[in-house]
This record gives sequence, C-alpha cells and structure tokens, in this order.
Amino acid sequence: MKQNLQSIQPVIMWKIARDEWRYWFRSKLAVVALLIGLTCTMLTVVVSVGDAFELEHQRGHAQQQSEQTFVNQPDRHPHRMVHYGHYVFKTPPPLGMVDPGVDSHTGNTIFLEGHRQNSATFADQKQSSGTTILGALTPAFVLQVLAPLLLVIMGYGVVSRERETQTLSILAAQGLGYGNLILGKISALLLVAMLMLLPLAISGIVVLSQGESLLTLSLFLVGYLLYLSIWILIIVSISLWAKSNSVSFSTLAFTWLVLCILMPRVATTVAGVMVPAAGKLEKDFAVVAELRQLGDGHNAKDKAFVQLEAELLKKHKVNRVEDLPLNFRGFVALKSEAEITSILNRYAEDRMHEELRQSFFARQFGWLSPQVALRTLSMLTAGTGLETHHRFLRETENLRFNFVQRLNQAHTNKLNYIDDMNRNKSEAAGQIARISAKNWNVIEGFKFRSSPSKERALQAMTPLAQLLLWFGMFGLFLRNLQRHYS
Amino acid sequence: MKRNTQTLPISIDAQQLVVTLNNKKILNNLSFQVSSGEVYALLGGNGAGKSTALKTLLGFHKPVSGQAVIEGLAVSTSLSAIRKKIAYLPENASLYPHLNAFENIEYFLSLAAVHKTHAEIKISLQQVNLQQDAWQKPLSKFSKGMRQKTAIALALLRDSPILLLDEPTSGLDPVAIDEFNQLVMSLAKQGAAILMVTHDVYGACQVAQRIGLLRDGALVGEFVADGGHQIDTEQVHKAFTAGVID
Repeated sequence: MKQNLQSIQPVIMWKIARDEWRYWFRSKLAVVALLIGLTCTMLTVVVSVGDAFELEHQRGHAQQQSEQTFVNQPDRHPHRMVHYGHYVFKTPPPLGMVDPGVDSHTGNTIFLEGHRQNSATFADQKQSSGTTILGALTPAFVLQVLAPLLLVIMGYGVVSRERETQTLSILAAQGLGYGNLILGKISALLLVAMLMLLPLAISGIVVLSQGESLLTLSLFLVGYLLYLSIWILIIVSISLWAKSNSVSFSTLAFTWLVLCILMPRVATTVAGVMVPAAGKLEKDFAVVAELRQLGDGHNAKDKAFVQLEAELLKKHKVNRVEDLPLNFRGFVALKSEAEITSILNRYAEDRMHEELRQSFFARQFGWLSPQVALRTLSMLTAGTGLETHHRFLRETENLRFNFVQRLNQAHTNKLNYIDDMNRNKSEAAGQIARISAKNWNVIEGFKFRSSPSKERALQAMTPLAQLLLWFGMFGLFLRNLQRHYS
Repeated sequence: MKRNTQTLPISIDAQQLVVTLNNKKILNNLSFQVSSGEVYALLGGNGAGKSTALKTLLGFHKPVSGQAVIEGLAVSTSLSAIRKKIAYLPENASLYPHLNAFENIEYFLSLAAVHKTHAEIKISLQQVNLQQDAWQKPLSKFSKGMRQKTAIALALLRDSPILLLDEPTSGLDPVAIDEFNQLVMSLAKQGAAILMVTHDVYGACQVAQRIGLLRDGALVGEFVADGGHQIDTEQVHKAFTAGVID
C-alpha cells in the first residue's frame, strides 16, 4: 500500500469524502452533531451581531447623553462638577461581536470623577446568571470549544470504523492506498469545519462594513480554519492509530478534555503562580495608605499644604492667601489631583504590568494547546485582548485627569477664595460661590478606537506560529502513521 | 498425495514465503502455485497461517524471505497493478452497513475505477442469487450469507482473473454453501484462478482441484483431484485430523 504524492487521486478522495457524508446523513448521531454545531454557530453569530449593533447604538446614545448632561448642568461650584463625574463607554471593535475577549470580564463602562480611578463596570460575565458563569455562548466559544468536540463526535470513526468492520482490507484490495483514504476522510471533515465557519465568514461582511480591515479579518478566519484543521488532523491520526472505535472515541474525548478544557485553566493557574499578584483589596488598602499621606485636597488648611501655601505666598509676595491672585482652594485641588493621579497611575501601571506578565505566561501554553493559541490569536486580532483593555484604561484616565484639572483650573482662576470659603455660611453665599455653566465644556468627545490592523496582526504572529507548529506537527505525525500502516 | 502436472499458465506463485508477525514465524517456507481455471484450497486449522498467506499475496504482510508472484509480477514491486487483478473476499465480508447492495457495489467499483452499468450490476446480483427485494435494503439488515453474496457479486463485477477467498462458506447455511460452491466452480471454468483458504474439509473437496494441507505455516501435503473426480474427503480428513492432533 505504499503510496507517494504522485498517486494521490482527487476523484477518489472526493468519492471517499462523499461516502463519509452519506454515512453521516444516514447515522442519526452524526446528523444531530452536525445540526447542533451549525445551529450553535449560526445562532451565536446572528445573536452576537444583533447584540453588537444594539449595544453600539445604546453606548453611542449613552455617551452622547452623558456628555450633554454634563455640559447642561447649571452654574455650580466647580468642585461639585468634579464629583458629578462623567461616564465613558468602550465601543467594541467590529470583530468584538464574534470574540468579546476580555471585555466580557472587564466591563465596558467607566465612571470618571475626581480623585478616583474607578474600575470598568457592566461586564457581561458579572451581569450574567449563575448558569452562564462558565462562559457565555459566543461564536468564539462555540468554534474554540464546541466545534472540536462536534468534529470528534462526527469523525472519531473515520478510519477505526473501517478497521473494525474490516472494510479497510476490501478497500485496499480495490487498489486504494491509505493516502487517498486519509485525504478523502480529511476532506469530508474539512467540509464540516468549513460549514461551521460559514456563519463566521458571512458575519465577516458585516464586520468589514463596520470598518474592520481585510487583513485582520483574513487573519482571524485563517486562524479559525487552521485550528479546526489541526483538530481534523488529530482526529484522523487517532482514528488511524486506534484499534477500535471505542478506543478512538475515548482517546479523542480525553484529548479534547485536556486541550480545550483543562489546559486553558492550567495556563491561568500557572501564570498566577509564576507572577504572583496581590489581591485587589490588598492593593486598595496600600493605595489608600499612600494617599492618606498626601493630605485632604478638599481642605486647603490641611497641614500637608502648609509648605505649598508658604511657597505660593512667597512667590506672589503676599502675606495672606486671601491676597493671592488665585483661589488657593482651587490651587490645592489642582496640586492634590496631580499627586493623587501620579500615585494611582503608578499602582495602575504596576497592576497592568503584572497582568501582562501573567498573560505572557498563560499564552505560552499555546505551544501545549492549540485552543490557547487560537484564543490568543482571536482576541489579539479582534482587538479585545488585555493590551487593548489597558489602552482603554489609559485613554479614559487621561480623559478623566484632563477634565478634572480643567475644572480645578476654573476653580483656581474663576472663583474668588473668600466667596469659596464662605460658601456654606448661607444659601445666598452658596449661590455666590458658583461659576458659569460655560465652564463645563471641558470634556473631550470620547470614542475608543481599535488598534491599527497592522499592529494587531503583528501581535498575533506568535499564536499564529503556535498554530502552524501544531498543524505541521500533526501533519507530519499523520503522514508517518499513514506510512507505517501502509 | 501426488502433485498435479501444471499445464495452464500459473497465476499465483508463492515461493518459499517466510512471514513473521510479532516475532512469531507464521509462514514457514510456504510454496504453492495456482493456475488459471483452477480452484486451490489451502486447508488448515486455526493459526495454521491460512489468512496470513492470503494477506501476503495481497501485500498486507511483507515476507521476511521468499516472494509472491501474481501473473508474473512480484507483489513486492508491482502492488498496484496486482491489486487490479485480484478480487478478495475476506472472512467476514463486511461491506458498508449503511449502504444497500447496489450502493456498496457501485462505491467499491468506482474506487477500483471499474465502470459497470446498473444492468450489469443487476445481472451479477441475480447470478449470486441475492433475492431482488433485498437489493435496496441497507446491508445492516442482511444475513451473513446475503452479505457474502453481495461481496461475491462485487468480486465478479471486478472481472478479476484471480479470486482470493478467506473462509468463504463459514457461517453459511447448507443451501447457501451449495450455491456458493457452484458459483466458484463456474468461475473457475471461465478461467479464473481461485485460491480459497478454509478449514472445511468437505467444502474444499467439493470444489477444489487441489488441496494444500497447511500446518504451522508450512505445506505438509497436497491432494489432487484425479481424472475429473473429487478429492477423496476421507483421505483429506484423516490427514487433516492427524495434522491438527499432531
């Protein structure tokens, strides 16, 4: 049964693939598995695309409303506007409708206000019910985890069934080599994989219309096709190696369990061990302890600002803060906000650095599991990875700091110090300690944009290399196995 | 036990075949020849090496020494060409259970690049006496005899000059065995070289012109039909039983 590439016959391969499909159609289990796979992919894509459009509309509307509400506030004390705050929304990238990535855990909305860096909220996972705690049914989840299982259910017997029923020897006696047989079986399974990917490819048209680049979309689709092809090679290899159908199925089910369920969790656990990070509560306490040393920015008479006061008086050559050409309370707020932000940013950068290091270790498991490799490639090309979330946090923090400082600047320059100090003495005094609503026009319009497609494609090169290695490794393994059995 | 003089061209020539599987010698210098138009039965008990001999001729096992030659071509070097000449009927003629008789035959023939019309397939199924109402039923609903008949119909349609039959009558009822034997003899008359391996002494004597007695992978005796008469069953049975007991 020795066969070289020259004796590969496409017509024979097609006949074998067609017969495998005929077998699947007549076998209820395979038909059910195929229908489940197609329905899941189709439904999740349709629902996700619909949701994405609705969410984008809602977020756009909410963003506009939030900006309008802020700007339309009446004359107020400027520091009340600092605490009035402002919401910003992360617009998901076009491919985010297929793979929401870390967004489903991290959230997409941040409340920006003075002296605080709030976490993002409204994460899908945190809003979901207990039954969906293991992960929402997104197109990415269906294709990364369920599709390989469905391929296993459909394909575990492609060769072992022929061996068990002894049709292999009859096929061989017809002059059919293992090469044509295996390529025929691979073609049959590849058609199943392509059918499962079809809804994804169709959604690509919507994704392109939303401004996604063809390069990123192609890389995204190639990644998924490569991943399912790797599974096809694994399935056919094990089916060829196994002595019986039951051995083939149990080996493949175990392989799926290890590669798709166990390994991604092991990756996260190992990353946590390799890069130990303090818990949120512990870090919050540390931040609060450090911030306390700065003094209370709301109280200009806090002893932490004595030196600042002295320097300012000296600079303006006056003896009393009342004689300063600026509002000392506003100036303290300005300085205090800068110092607080510096500390908050340092902790935030440390946390992001730790997260990236953990993520780096977790992503190395792509060499051990194609699912981890694809998950990374999918998130990075979609622009829903950790890096993008960090950029969102930095951009929103920048926005927060700028608008708070502009308000503090207005506080410093446009509100008289004495009026400010007397603001709580009476209602009338409170009315005087206000500045014009025209000063609220300090918020820059916020629109979060995906990273350039080239940058995302470059980031995805390592997971792509991992997938190519898996493909090559199992391709060679199957070829050697085929030669062995030939 | 006397050797027949070969007058017809030799189709199957096993030359001192030695085959080892899992470090165990299964065939031990096995030599025999089968001519066109002849039915040759390799008779032996369980583990004598009968099926291994057939699989070696098909190229499924590679001999350690010796060689198998089919119609002048060595199996080791001309496997593809040789397989086109051979129709093989395994012990459990397991065709595809999800396909009906027609579909099975059409599919296997298409893989062998043999083109037959529906009418030709019908004739073949009639020839093997497979009842017509079963033709469109999936093989999962067939008895062993019916599956065997379908596989024989396939072998006939291959127009192969050589037939290798592995325990072809095992599990068949007496009527089906008789029908099968008639079919084999008629194919031999048409010029096919037929090698069957079996442990059925009576069946072998009924159809074979020569019977080779196989023990521990080696041929220990050969019986030849004399002057158009069948081989003496009693004599073969005695030798076979002695061989098995020994």
